[in-house]
Amino acid sequence: MAHYTELNIGPIHPAVHGILKFKVKLQEEIIEDVEITLGFLHRNAEKICELNYYADNMVYFDRMDYIDAMNMELGYLTAVEKLMDMEVPERAQWIRMIMAELNRLAARLVGLGAFGLDMGMLTPFFHCFIEREKIQKIFVEASGGRQEVNYMSIGGVYQDFNDQIINDIREFLKEFKPYLEDIYGMFMHSEIFWQRNDGIGILEPDVALDYGVTGPLLRGSGIAYDVRKDAPYLFYDKVNFNIPISHKKDNMGRFILKVEEMRQSIRIIEQSIDKIPDGPYFNNKAKKSMMLRLKGDGEVFSRVESENGEFGVYVRGNGTFKPWRVHVRSPAFKNISVVPVMAKGMMIADLIVIIGSVDTVIGEIDR
Amino acid sequence: MKNGDLGIKTTTIEKALEWGSANSLWPLTMGLACCAIEMMATQAADLDIARFGSEIFRNSPRQSDLMIVAGTTTKRMAPRVKRVYEEMPYPKYVIAMGVCVIQGGPYVDGYSVVMGVDKVVPVDVYIPGCPPSPQALTYGIMTLQKKIKHETDR
Amino acid sequence: MYKIISESEDKNKIKIINIDKNDLIEFMEDYKSKGYYLSSITGVDMQDHLEVIYHIHNYDTHEYIEVKILTTDDKVPSLTKLWKAAKGDEREQYDLMGIIFEGHENLRRIVLPDEWVGHPLRKSYDLKKVQYINMDSEGKEHVSYNENEGW
Ligand code: SF4
Repeated sequence: MAHYTELNIGPIHPAVHGILKFKVKLQEEIIEDVEITLGFLHRNAEKICELNYYADNMVYFDRMDYIDAMNMELGYLTAVEKLMDMEVPERAQWIRMIMAELNRLAARLVGLGAFGLDMGMLTPFFHCFIEREKIQKIFVEASGGRQEVNYMSIGGVYQDFNDQIINDIREFLKEFKPYLEDIYGMFMHSEIFWQRNDGIGILEPDVALDYGVTGPLLRGSGIAYDVRKDAPYLFYDKVNFNIPISHKKDNMGRFILKVEEMRQSIRIIEQSIDKIPDGPYFNNKAKKSMMLRLKGDGEVFSRVESENGEFGVYVRGNGTFKPWRVHVRSPAFKNISVVPVMAKGMMIADLIVIIGSVDTVIGEIDR
Repeated sequence: MKNGDLGIKTTTIEKALEWGSANSLWPLTMGLACCAIEMMATQAADLDIARFGSEIFRNSPRQSDLMIVAGTTTKRMAPRVKRVYEEMPYPKYVIAMGVCVIQGGPYVDGYSVVMGVDKVVPVDVYIPGCPPSPQALTYGIMTLQKKIKHETDR
Repeated sequence: MYKIISESEDKNKIKIINIDKNDLIEFMEDYKSKGYYLSSITGVDMQDHLEVIYHIHNYDTHEYIEVKILTTDDKVPSLTKLWKAAKGDEREQYDLMGIIFEGHENLRRIVLPDEWVGHPLRKSYDLKKVQYINMDSEGKEHVSYNENEGW
């Protein structure tokens, strides 16, 4: 008769990227089954959103995927602005795009650093955070916030870009490009990194689609789906960039793909920074004094590409100052649900690497 | 402490112990939410709290003496936070980082957030901010060191 | 054959299809064979009835469709047989909104503990009645209204 061991990982464990609990059923060292317990960071954001004014809810979206705050804001705003029939000036849209891509870089850097830590590689972590700190300095200059920025607002952005910020971004990109290759090299030249990732965590494309997986995880299985190309928002249709995909389907492929996506993000920023037109940076209908008097009516579902994949926001208004219902389609929630499939039949040590490769943010799963 | 003529320092054992434990605080990674990322940034190269003796973040409660509660403590998490706190050896200290941990913060209207971690574990230093900047966390740790150094004077 | 009650568009130009809840499985089976995948499930409390909204997505034609059904007795058929993505989503909607998905083999709460009373996203949920969670030495969670029994 088979003999099973049960092992609990989490909720507080450095490898689970936040607070999650994995209950693993083991036969010797081989994983038979993984059961995931969620809810340790359930902060009832959806309920609170119903109690607040439209403009107030930005705060809660910032704190969903807390390392990718700009894209979360963007997701909420694209929905709410359509609900209110609010136009966004061109300048604001370009600024939003630059900020969203910068934040994507910052989020990826945290992800890569933590991924290294999972395998006991301490060095890339420090290098990633040095670079991330530079992005945050730009954010502080533009918005005053470091991480939970609350920079975009309904109908535009909170503050205009000045020449200083544009210069800073240009300089940062120039420094960052070779640095990214350095960080990449640190991983790729490590024999241990290769052995622990090559061929580990296979995700077949049909399984991925069945589970509703999006983002790097889906592209890592060879399906070129990215909301920025699929249903372009902002001005993503006016810049040149590629959607990298990988047919390796494993951790290694996903890692290479994530770094390639960072290079594409740099490309997007470089192109858009030259294109920022002059003009207003917010819509006059949404002045700061008018912010709480905006009404929404009807229903809307809008999606953006966040760090983890397709981030969708469903908002239903009933003609008052407060939304009737806000629902979030969380990409990380879907992504984490394939971990049991990917981990089945692997060694227990591989589970840690797989979780690191899926790279979820708990704030967004539990909300 | 007194400086003697022969280059010898005399002090009490309590003082020496306090000096030692204040300057070698080993924090436990209790990263619960957004504030955890700022805690990681504090640990990383740019801001480096190793300068203040908090050299390594330990992942086991048995090896650490400072618990930085960084991030929203939900009702579901509270008993677990308490259990981890109980597993830490004495002397132990707690820093509450972020408004969520102090009184509920942005989630004060909700149903599933503990309104202040001080209802669960005793807190020594509160650091407001949402999230507090790494500099604020560093300042909080220095404040805690001051507190530890003067524990027997009180 | 399923019957489409009405069609409209939301403000993001996504097509909304209203159908009867008894036709749901048949409708979804048809769309699954056309290459659609489930993207998200949303429950909306309209006080006298519940709306359940399914977003389905075709990766080839880039088409997004919103399917809407109404229910007055909180019960709707489960889609777990069609897409695995429904497993987590349905559990979440059951937990927070109290929609009972018939045919889901593991319909438990997902983010709140099993003993929690009420479904928080309902408009009738009373936020003033505070519930507390405690854990015994075995790791089982207990919910009570008494503050002294919390943690
Ligand atoms: S204080 Fe703010 S940043 Fe920190 S955990 Fe709470 S919501 Fe997140």
